[in-house]
Order: sequence, then structure tokens, then C-alpha cells
Amino acid sequence: MADSFIRFKDVSKSFGALTVVEGLNLDIEQGEFISLLGPSGSGKTTILMMLAGFESPTTGAVWARGKRIDLLPPHKRNMGVVFQNYALFPHMTVSENVAFPLRMRRLGRAETADRVTRALDMVQLGSFADRRPSQLSGGQQQRVALARALIFEPEVVLMDEPLGALDKQLREQMQLDIRALHRRLGLTVVFVTHDQTEALTMSDRIAVFNHGKVEQTGSPAEIYDHPSTRFVAEFIGETNLVRGSVETVEGTTGRIRLENGGTLSVEASGRLHAGKDVCLSIRPERVTLGTGPDNSFSARISDVVYHGDHLRLLVQGNEQSFIIKTDRSRRPPSVGDNIMISFLPTDCWVIDA
Amino acid sequence: MNVLRWCKIVFGAAAVFFLLAPLVAILPLAFTDSVFLNYPVPGYSTRWFEELLTAEVWRRSIVNSLIIGCGTTVLATVLGTVGALGLRGTRLSPVFAFIKTIFLLPMVVPAVVLGVGMQLMFARYGLANSYLGVIIAHTVVGVPFVVVNVLTVLQGSDRRLEQAAASLGAAPHVVFRKITLPLALPGIVSGAVFAFATSLDEVVLTLFVAGPNQRTLARQMFSTIRENISPAIAAAAFVFIVGTMLIAIVFKLSMKAAQRRQEQA
Amino acid sequence: MNRGRFRTQVTSLALVAPLLLFLIVFFALPLFTMMKSAVSDPIAANVLPATASALSGWDRESPPSAALQAAFVTDLKQIEDDQLFGDLVRRLNSAKSGFRTLMPKTRTAAKEAGEPLDLVALDKRWADNGYWQVIGVAASSTITDRNLLAALDLGRDASGEVAALPTGASANRAILLRTFSMALAVTVACVLIGLPFAMIAASVEGWKRQLLLGAVLLPLWTSLLVRTAAWFILLQDNGLINSTLMFLGLTTEPLALIFNRVGVIIAMTHVLLPFMVLPVFSVLAGIPKNLMPAAASLGAHPVQAFLTVLLPLSLRGVISGSLLVFMSALGYYITPALIGGAKDQMISSVIAYYATGAANWGMAGALGLVLLTATLLLYVVYLRLSAERELRP
Repeated sequence: MADSFIRFKDVSKSFGALTVVEGLNLDIEQGEFISLLGPSGSGKTTILMMLAGFESPTTGAVWARGKRIDLLPPHKRNMGVVFQNYALFPHMTVSENVAFPLRMRRLGRAETADRVTRALDMVQLGSFADRRPSQLSGGQQQRVALARALIFEPEVVLMDEPLGALDKQLREQMQLDIRALHRRLGLTVVFVTHDQTEALTMSDRIAVFNHGKVEQTGSPAEIYDHPSTRFVAEFIGETNLVRGSVETVEGTTGRIRLENGGTLSVEASGRLHAGKDVCLSIRPERVTLGTGPDNSFSARISDVVYHGDHLRLLVQGNEQSFIIKTDRSRRPPSVGDNIMISFLPTDCWVIDA
Repeated sequence: MNVLRWCKIVFGAAAVFFLLAPLVAILPLAFTDSVFLNYPVPGYSTRWFEELLTAEVWRRSIVNSLIIGCGTTVLATVLGTVGALGLRGTRLSPVFAFIKTIFLLPMVVPAVVLGVGMQLMFARYGLANSYLGVIIAHTVVGVPFVVVNVLTVLQGSDRRLEQAAASLGAAPHVVFRKITLPLALPGIVSGAVFAFATSLDEVVLTLFVAGPNQRTLARQMFSTIRENISPAIAAAAFVFIVGTMLIAIVFKLSMKAAQRRQEQA
Repeated sequence: MNRGRFRTQVTSLALVAPLLLFLIVFFALPLFTMMKSAVSDPIAANVLPATASALSGWDRESPPSAALQAAFVTDLKQIEDDQLFGDLVRRLNSAKSGFRTLMPKTRTAAKEAGEPLDLVALDKRWADNGYWQVIGVAASSTITDRNLLAALDLGRDASGEVAALPTGASANRAILLRTFSMALAVTVACVLIGLPFAMIAASVEGWKRQLLLGAVLLPLWTSLLVRTAAWFILLQDNGLINSTLMFLGLTTEPLALIFNRVGVIIAMTHVLLPFMVLPVFSVLAGIPKNLMPAAASLGAHPVQAFLTVLLPLSLRGVISGSLLVFMSALGYYITPALIGGAKDQMISSVIAYYATGAANWGMAGALGLVLLTATLLLYVVYLRLSAERELRP
């Protein structure tokens, strides 16, 4: 049991008749940045709360460094938690907030003051030490919460949608800051979010949750390029899903008969068996305009959406609609144009239907 | 952890008992057939309720309370609602903040102090020992409740609703009648209920400004307790408690209904 | 824009005006009348105009001049209204006893005798400078501070210096002290019951919270008189509490619960408890739910988290609630009047006694002014605190 830094073993959690986490098995390695990603109600926050000790598993066990911790009260777990909406103490100043965990650990006054100064400098809030939380902006409050969760040097930091309340620009800045801190301090970070872009940009590893169960775990690239379920394919980024059944298989190449009668060729080794129903995921940026060597279709443009750095085309061809992401170098097509679209067999990712 | 839980339950139950038991304990005594207010109740009868309705002092005081209560409710509701409408939207101006403080001050000033002043002044202007005098005195202490209730509702309602109505072509008086007043209605109603309840319960000012002809039910209860207590007090208290609960229930239901109506709309 | 704003201001003012006017006439004016009665003392100056003007030449130490004596006699002669004369005598006698017999005797003599009336020959008390000093003080001004001083058991001695009244002459200071200590006892009792109660109510949810809050709101809605009557019945020697205690064998004779301090404090605590619970509860309900988990995650033991986070945060509500309770308790009349004994009467009862029993408006006004000042000071502090809370969400 001691091989993993943190391990959830067959953990389930129910509130009355409602099961929010079901049969969870998850290992977290020391020093990694793992995101728990999922829509609201998928159980990700409950998992974080079980790790922090505010909820206890209905069945199963949670281990850390080879010791069972699910019966340990929260104040003995030594995990830094950054809460949604920060949970700063409104009656204490910034420095009192940051000093709180050290006070609880009965550190000497001089050392406390010294470490508080360093922690506030780390988050660039040195000059705000005597303010109250209500006198700070959202981003500053967020950084205080971060400093408070890090000052007692926990090995694990848990973050529950910490950037949800910030506007876009600030959020992106904080994403970079948190990543930098993670690398510099060698922390283990468990990060809960419902924002897939945030998960993709920040994490070493992502666990995608739906209805209390893990759908897939893997690196951001794995998750994005090779989603193992339809849910993951649709939840992470945008995609075109095409249904059909495998007609023939030759080596690694298969021919798929689509529901609308057309055929596609797909490159995938070992995942194709003749007669099997499959679902194909084709990312919008992989679809090109014009005729290609394989998989070319004629289609008609039903909408053009301007996105600044790229265009998004909504096209309709033979009972199948496609979203296409295209750069702006070529002459912009207009609504109603008839065009050809194509994609490579290697860009079709096969998911079991 | 379990010890804490038990402490909470025991303390909570004891406090609830302390708060409610006196009100519950007085109820059965209203139905005693004896002249004493003792437990165990020897036998049950409605003789004390009959006494309330037939004895001249009690009957008279009930009628007086209703007259004065209704007068107070009308006067306080009109004055308070109009005043609250004036205070709305002028929250920042210090002049209006001061005016608001004045409107609420009668809740704070000790009744006896106000009573002494009123007795002196009312005697000078011929208001002493008159229904009008008592109604005015009760209105002074009842009107803050109307102001607070109406103001709370108005400040909770969205000013943009009225702007929307105006943009849709409603003249100011139409906006007031069709939008502002219906929005303020729950506050006006609860304010009126509070004003009535305040008048019903008011003793101290009544002691100072009312003559023997304006003796209210509360005033009559006060002197009965003071001079020779009888189970008629328990009967009157029964009427008060049951009345309070009925008003609270009706009030809560009508608020819920109003809320549902607004949510549906 | 500016014109529109001006118009709304005028509209607001027009709407506010009726109630403002009403409260000025029927709220501010009575209070002003009461305050005026505390300091007004016009009787001697009005009835003795010649004496009043002759006073300017007198140093108050030497015996009064013949001119002053003559002016006094002239004034006495001119008093026709017996009631007015009675008021004057009462006023003077309240400052120094002896006037009650001296004045009618002198008035009769003045009406009958010829012009130069020898007052000292008439009654040798007129040789006592003390009587003249009293007339001097009373006639020289239409306002007085003697009621206000008396409210604090102070008075002016012969030389006009403020000094304590002889013990036994007045008990106002003792009553003020009693009022404060009883209000304080009620406040402490309300904190001790109300704070844990509000914390429990804030920590539970659903029907439990509804029950706890309902238990606070129902008494608040119920008539004060009914609640006082209920306690009156319960606390009697043969009331439910004593009969239960005796039935259980906890006591053999009834405990004295009514017409004493214990009864008043129990009943007042019951009446005022909602004013403590509600502000504390509203503060606690406004505290973000994740603060206690946050404290725990930072290493605070539950007891530490309670002491460092929950308690300091609820303190603001406790202070608001305490101010409300203390302020209301100071001016309480009905409960002490019905449940207390003679030794448990608070300042309001004394004011009511002076006003309705003794018709001493000066003292009623002076004590009223003391109570009003104390109450308003507390209210200002309360307003400050709640304004601060609005600024700092």
C-alpha cells in the first residue's frame, strides 16, 4: 500500500439515497499537479473534501504515505486547502490570516513574523499586511488564501475551484503563478475545476469525472487527443462525433459505414473489428477545406463565426453537420457557399459506441 | 463530539422550554371554573370568557381597544407608508438619513419619558382623556414599524421595474399605482399588522394620556393584575395568544402566496 | 440631470413632510415639554415681580434691605389667585420647610396692615437669612437646575455650591444604581442564554432551526402584558413553579419568586431574550460556511477554531444585542411594576410616581431627562456599530 503518495481505494460516498462518489480508485504521485475535472455534481469537490477530512468515505479508505488517513480529523492532516471564495477570516488582517496556521502550530513570534513576511512577498502582497480581506480585490484575496495555505509548508495543496470568481485576464495570470509556485516548491497539487481549458493548461495529469465515477485519467494530451469515452471527447474541447459501424479491416486501416450511407477510412491499430458499432471523434481543427486524398465530402456553409484569431464554420453535408476551425489566411468563405471538406484517416479517433 | 451534541440538545430544549412554557402554561387556566389561578385546575368552564364579554369593564375595554387599534392602524399606515416612499432612493443624502433616524426614534425612547411629556402637552391642547389623543400617542410608537417594513420591501425591490414601466409609456402616477404600490403592498400590510399589534399591547402611554373612558384591554389587564388578579386575565391572555398565532399564520401564508404570485409572474 | 435630481429631492421631501411634521408635534414637542418642565421654575419670578427686580441690589449675605422687604410685601398683597399662591408656597417649602406656615401668616398680615410691615416682628423666622436666600434663588430666575441636581441626589447649599444632599433626603442615586444593575443583570442573563442559543440555531438546519427561531419569534409577537401576566401567575407562591418544586420534593415551602428581584429578572430576561438572539443569529448566519473548515485545514483544533474564529465573529452581534437589551431594560416599566416589589422599582416607575402620584413635574422631567440621555447615548453607539457593519460586509 505504501507505493503511492496518496491513494483512494474503492472509495464511495453517499448522502442518504444519493451516491456522489462511486468506487473511486485513484493514485496521486508526489510532486504532481493533478486536476479533478468534471461538470458540477460530478463528485469532484466531495473527493477533495474527503482528502481534506471534511467528509468521510461511506466505504473504502484513503491512504497517504502508506497510512490510512480517512479517520484523521482535518486539523491533523497537514494539507493546505484553498477554498472556493477563499474563506479568509474577515475579522483578521492579511498578516493575521497568513499567520493563523503558524499560531495553531505554536511557532515562536519571531519566526512567525519572518515567515509571514516571506509568504506575503512570495505572492507580492507585502504592502497589504495590515489590510482586512474586505479591503482587497478578488485577485489579492486569492493570493492571500494561497499564501495562507502554503505558509505551513504542507506537502499537499488542495484547491477547490480557486479561480472561479476571477475575471478572465486575472484568471490566466493566476494560472501561470500557481504553476510556477508548484514547480518552484515541488508541491503536490490537487486542483478541482470544471473549466477544461484551465485543467489542460495547468495539469500534469487530469482525472475526468462524471456522475461520481472516473471517466479517464491521463496527461492533458492523452485526454485531448485520445478520449476514451464519448463524454470525455465532448467535455474536453470541441469535437465532431460521427457514428457508424466497421465494415472491413485491412491491417491498421478500417472502412466505416456511416449512418447516412457514406463511408470513411480510419487509421487505428487493434481497435477495429468488423461489424462493431463505433463512434468517431474528429477535432474541428483537423478538418480542412478542399479535397484531400481520403475522406472528402461536399458540404454547404450554414454559419461563419468570427473568433479573432480564427474562424469557425458550421457546415452541413448529407445529414451530418460539422464544426470546422480554420485560420484566416485564405479568402473568408460566406454563408451558402458549397465547399469540399476533408480529414485524414489518422485524425479520426475511435471510441466504442 | 457526542458530549457536545448532547449539550446542544439539552441546552436548546431547555431554552425553548423557557421561551414557550410560560405562554403554554397560562392557556388552560383560562378555562378554570374556580376563582383562583392555580394548578391543578379543579374543573373546566367558559365562565371567564363570558365574564370578558359581559362584564361592563371588560366589554368596554375590548371595544375601546378595537376603536383605538383601528384608528392607530389607519393613521400610522398612511403616514408611515407615505414617509417611507419619500425615504426611498435617497439613501445617501445625510439630511434624509437624519430624517430616517427621527422616524425610527419613537421605538427607542422609553415609553414613560414620552408618556410624561405627552401628558403635560396633551393637557395643554385639550387632547388629554380623548380617543384622538390615545390614537395619536399609539401612532407615534406604531409608525416606526410601518416605516421599517415598507422601506425594507421597497429597498428589496428592483428600481428598474419602475424604470421599465416608465419606458413602456406609463405616466408617473400610473407607475406609482400599478408598480410601486403593488410592490410595496407586503410591507404595507405587515406594517399595518405591527401597528395594530403595538396599539393593542400599549399600556404605558395609555396610562398617561387616556381617561377612564378610553381604558383599553391592555390597560384593563394591567390594573387587574396589579389590583386583584382573576382568571379573566388568563382568558384575555388566551385571546391574545391565539389571536397572535392566527395573525402570524395568516400573515405567513399570505406572504408565501404573494411570493408565489411574484415568482409565477 | 441636475434638474431631475432636484425634482426627486422635492418629491421626496414632500412625501416625508407629513410624518415629519406629525412626529415633530406629537413626539419631539412632548419630549421638549418634559425637558422644559425639568428646568422651568417660573412661579416665584412671575408671582413676585417687584421682589425679583429688588433682588439685584442684595448680596445674599447681609440681611435683606428694607426696600427688598417692602417689595416682597407689595407682591404678597397683590396676589389674588389662591391657587397661584398655593403653588408658590409649595415651591418655596420644597426648598426649605417652614414656608408652609410662614407664608399664609405673612400674606394675611400684609393684606391687613398698613404700608411699613415689620416682618421680623411678625415672625422671627424672617430674621433668618436662609428664608430670604430661598426667595432670592426662586425669584431671580425662571429656570432652575435643582431638579436635575436632585435627580442625582445633589443640591445647592446656602452659598450656591453644588453639594450632596444629606443621606435620607433623596434616594434617586440609589434608584439609578439599581436600574443600571438590574439592566446589567438582565443583559448578562440574555448573553448567557442567547449566545449559545443563537449558535445552536445557526449550526442546525431545517425543522430544528425553524423550531428554535419560532420559539424566539412567538414570544416576541405575543403581547408583553400577556407574557408578564404569565410570569405573574407562574411565579406566585402557589403558582406552577412552586407547586412543581414542592411536588418534586425539592423544597418544602414555596420559594419567594414574585415581588422581588429574582422574579423581575427572570421575567425581563424572557421578554428581552429575542433582542439578543436575533442580532447574534443574523451575524452568525452571515458568516461564510467554509470559515470553520478553513480553520481546521490550517491546523486549528475545533476548540481553537471556535475561540479564534466563531467567537470573535459573533462578538459584534453580541455587542449589538447587549446594547439593545440594556437600552430596553433601562426604561422598563410594566414588568417591574407588576412583578417587582417596592424595592425593585426601576427609574421608570419612579418617574411615573412623580408624574401621576405626586404631580411633581419638575422631578419627573429631570429623571426622565436622565433616562432619555442614557438611552439615546446607547442608541448612538448602537447605530455606529451597525453602520460600521454595513460598510464592512
